[in-house]
Amino acid sequence: MAGISCSSIRKSFDRTEALSELSIDFQSGRTTALVGPSGCGKSTILRMIAGLETPDTGQIAIGQETPKQVARRGGLAMAFQDASLLPWRTVRSNIALGAELARKPADRVDDLIDLVGLDGFADHRPAELSGGMRQRAAIARSLISEPEVLLLDEPFGAVDAITRRRLNRDLPPLWRELQTTTLLVTHSVEEAVLLSDRVIVLSPRPARILADIQVDIHRESTVSATTSPEFRAFATQVLAALEESE
Amino acid sequence: MALGRTMLGVLFALLVWEGLARVQPNSVLISGPTDILAYITGHSGLLFRAATETSMNAVLGFFWGNLAAVALACFVILVPKSEWVVSALALLVFCIPLIASGPILRVLFGPGAGPQIALAALAVYYTTFLALVVGLRAISQSWTDLMTVYGRGRLSTLFVVRFRASLPYLFVGLQIAAPAAFLGAMIGEFTGAERGLGVLTLRAMRGLQTDATWALAAISASLAMLGYACVGLLKSKLTPHAPTILLSTPRVGQKRALTTRILGIVFLSALVLVLWQGLMDLFNLNSFFAKRPADIWNFVSNTTNLNTLLTALGETLAYAIPGYLAGLVLGAGLAIALTLWPCVARATMPTAITLRAVPIITTAPLLVLAFGRGLTGTVVIVAVMVFFPTLVACLQGVRQTPMQIVDLFESYGASRLKLLRSAQIPAMLPALFASARMAVPAALLAVTTAEWLATGRGIGVLMALTASTSDYNMLWSCVVLLCLVAVTAYAGVSWCEKRVLRVYASEQVV
Repeated sequence: MAGISCSSIRKSFDRTEALSELSIDFQSGRTTALVGPSGCGKSTILRMIAGLETPDTGQIAIGQETPKQVARRGGLAMAFQDASLLPWRTVRSNIALGAELARKPADRVDDLIDLVGLDGFADHRPAELSGGMRQRAAIARSLISEPEVLLLDEPFGAVDAITRRRLNRDLPPLWRELQTTTLLVTHSVEEAVLLSDRVIVLSPRPARILADIQVDIHRESTVSATTSPEFRAFATQVLAALEESE
Repeated sequence: MALGRTMLGVLFALLVWEGLARVQPNSVLISGPTDILAYITGHSGLLFRAATETSMNAVLGFFWGNLAAVALACFVILVPKSEWVVSALALLVFCIPLIASGPILRVLFGPGAGPQIALAALAVYYTTFLALVVGLRAISQSWTDLMTVYGRGRLSTLFVVRFRASLPYLFVGLQIAAPAAFLGAMIGEFTGAERGLGVLTLRAMRGLQTDATWALAAISASLAMLGYACVGLLKSKLTPHAPTILLSTPRVGQKRALTTRILGIVFLSALVLVLWQGLMDLFNLNSFFAKRPADIWNFVSNTTNLNTLLTALGETLAYAIPGYLAGLVLGAGLAIALTLWPCVARATMPTAITLRAVPIITTAPLLVLAFGRGLTGTVVIVAVMVFFPTLVACLQGVRQTPMQIVDLFESYGASRLKLLRSAQIPAMLPALFASARMAVPAALLAVTTAEWLATGRGIGVLMALTASTSDYNMLWSCVVLLCLVAVTAYAGVSWCEKRVLRVYASEQVV
């Protein structure tokens, strides 16, 4: 299992500087949430770790390898802001695609369908599903290859509140079990605190680290945890850092 | 209900047709449905053999042409840098009117079915190529991202995502290709085959056999439409959500500097010359009929030859330009008129889409009969060839007007005319220009075919003459000249298109 290290990465699009000299390390097997104002470059960080963009200067390493090398042996998975399912494939076959592409066995499809609450919809096509259901299928697709690095780019945006709660409860144990290094970009402070071991608050463009908060909550009680004083304290801390950024 | 009304309409049209034919029983113009039927039943064996021959050639050409299109499109997707060279060469070959490549293929292949099949293939590959490139590209960014995240390259993306995503577009291309292949096969037969519907058509025209000409035109058009309908059926079964029509939008790309563009043209011209010479030498073709670039250069350096060529070209353009413009203006004009009566537009759309697919050339002999062998007949053929695609594209273009904009105009109580002028016509412009561009080769094909068949003037006739007198230098020069004219005109229309769309549809010319 490998951690991720970004050292002094810099990235500009046209003339706007998205990132300038940013260095962050993500520990192996842990879940880190990135929060920050819209357009601050959170997604860019994720896309660079996924090998979709290359930094103008600086290095990104996953263990001893480059993102592309990890990608090539199927060690990466990402869930995008839109579900990006293939419309001609059924839910089952869309989820299996994650394993196919990573060249891994797809024997856990049905477990994952249950886990994301799509039982009964395995043979439906994306057009027959609601936006939230599609998103859940996409999350299942990202998990099936049991990736070393899991990148979640606001994957719960289109999911309804009730399901979102359920996913928030069920997903973290899963990626903890897989020992996946998970990065989560989210707008929801609550979700960030609930799902992650660590929350990083970023400033507006070009992104700087405003706060780096270790979230040590007793994990077994996460569902009811949102109301606990401990949880509120962390959430307040994150909110305060966000407000400071304005 | 709707079917019943259509049947009634058809019946009525047939009665009127029959009545007209009865009024002038000795006319060389019109044959009534009963005369046509009588001819068909009287010559069923001959017609059946000819139809089978032509259909076989069309099917083979359809297969090879589309295979080439698929291969080219995949190559362009896998090697994006090759796109402009491949597209430019594909366009260049497409711009050579079939009636011009026909005689050359005839001398290369000899008397068999080769030229017909090759022409059928040439008639289909470009539209399929265009549709398929659009289709293979029509995938969302997140799908390619997904493939990259799993470390998969272009080839996997092509197989897992692009092929399936492009199917609807492929079928749009294939559907247009079906009647086009038939057209190609017919034209191949015009240029000197031994069997087939095209051969019979030529014979019937030269012998002024009105019934035979009508019967052959009816059979040819029906067979072409049958191909269109068959592929259409397959399309609606396999890809129910296919777009009804595709516009060939101008290529989106960076604005290139003038010097880059000139260099590009020079490079392309050199490439064409090298390919031309190279292919002739590679297959060791007899220089008596397989002329090389140097032969043509020497030939046109002679003033007399050049004058003959340019005079013929002048005559041809005198037919082609009015026909082309008339077709465009009438097509766009009718589309605008229909927009003012939306219910009429909705009703005429399917008919127009179907008529667009009728290969006009197969009915050219009828138009010649009806409008004579002079200026009018030829101009009408060209205009009809341009008219239907333009009408369909423009109607489709008007539909692209965003609903919110229509609502906005309505909320201010704007008149229909105001809406038309300020929103719908601008929305139609990309479609109009796309079809104006694609109509350039079509118009040249129509005019040269009409000349070849009927008029006794122009470059089509020059080619027909030189093909029979074995003056291959003249034949090749005609082809080169026509190709140059087509490419120049195409480029000219594209130039106007970019200027206009920059104002009216800036998102399309980034």
